Amino acid sequence: MGEPKSPSRSEKAVKKDFFGLTQDQIVRYSRQLILKEVGGRGQRKLMESKVLIVGAGGLGSPAALYLAAAGVGRIGIADSDRVDLSNLQRQVIHSTKSLGMPKAESAKETIQALNPEVEVTTIEERLDSGNALKILKGWDFVIDGSDNFPTKFLINDACVLKDIPFSHAGVLRFIGMTTTVIPHRGPCYRCLIKEAPPPGAVPTCQEAGVLGTVPGVMGAIQATEAIKFLIGAGNLLVGRVLYFDALNLRFDQFELKRNPRCPSCGDKPLIRDLSQVDYGTFCRVRQNARGKG
Amino acid sequence: MVGVVAVTVKLFANFREAAGVDKTVVEGAADIASLLKALVAKFGDDLRRNLFDGEKLRDTVNILLNGKSVELHEGLNTKLKDGDVVAIFPPVSGG
Repeated sequence: MGEPKSPSRSEKAVKKDFFGLTQDQIVRYSRQLILKEVGGRGQRKLMESKVLIVGAGGLGSPAALYLAAAGVGRIGIADSDRVDLSNLQRQVIHSTKSLGMPKAESAKETIQALNPEVEVTTIEERLDSGNALKILKGWDFVIDGSDNFPTKFLINDACVLKDIPFSHAGVLRFIGMTTTVIPHRGPCYRCLIKEAPPPGAVPTCQEAGVLGTVPGVMGAIQATEAIKFLIGAGNLLVGRVLYFDALNLRFDQFELKRNPRCPSCGDKPLIRDLSQVDYGTFCRVRQNARGKG
Repeated sequence: MVGVVAVTVKLFANFREAAGVDKTVVEGAADIASLLKALVAKFGDDLRRNLFDGEKLRDTVNILLNGKSVELHEGLNTKLKDGDVVAIFPPVSGG
């Protein structure tokens, strides 16, 4: 995989009248360029945008593929795992030939084969309270494709602290839930769930299973939200939780309001520093943390 | 019918499966605790087992009242009024 392909000077000159897109780019993105909500201006925005995907698993795979296909300029893949045979039933960015590879590297190869114009940053680290702010810094939007409560709470708290919009999702069996968080302009994940349930109370996909298409649908929705946010189109899934029941093929939603007493995004937030939260078990704010204001 | 509190309850995931319905209206429940009791009376033991471990509400039961977590209100003692909408769902963390 070489450096991201840049348009040649002559291509730029020919098409400088259309948002600086090359002829190839106009063809590649033609089906979305003709959408009035995207157009050349929206495409330009996508190409200048940076989206971080935490977890190159069932959710992160489709999200990364669609964001790459749409031409998001820089995609970050944060994942510390390696590709396992049991991943391939749903983690469609990886393939049999990438077994044993770091997931971030495998995802990068697939993205660059799909769209060499996308620059990919690989982060082969597990997100924790010590590195989260550094890893999340500088991205325009974050996709939470993680598979555990501590990471979901950590992404929420860090994104709220740093005002980074993100898409949350979780899946199990035939069920998916997703919501979009624009910090301080709507509710956050802790407004939905204050603390993590005790370990073992909620089964994991490893224990209870998951139909591969469920994270496929949810990850595609997360990518949709990222694109809409980046180009400023439509209504985001803010203040609403979308619930997908694949077995009965139903989508439902319920309202979610920002809670003034939320420890993360409330009027007097308790979490002003990630070290104030014990992400080990309940993702609970430590006793000595005090609200400000 | 003045004074009768009617609350719409939306059930998700295992709670929906146990109740066999996705939505129901409960009348006469003054707070969340009595609403849950009314739901158990209406839909039976399977729903009770999904909601309660003995007498204790399970940690996997999330309840929103008009979009706000009851944990950040008064928990099970949160009062209900006519026209309220309650959503009951489990957290899911898979990815």
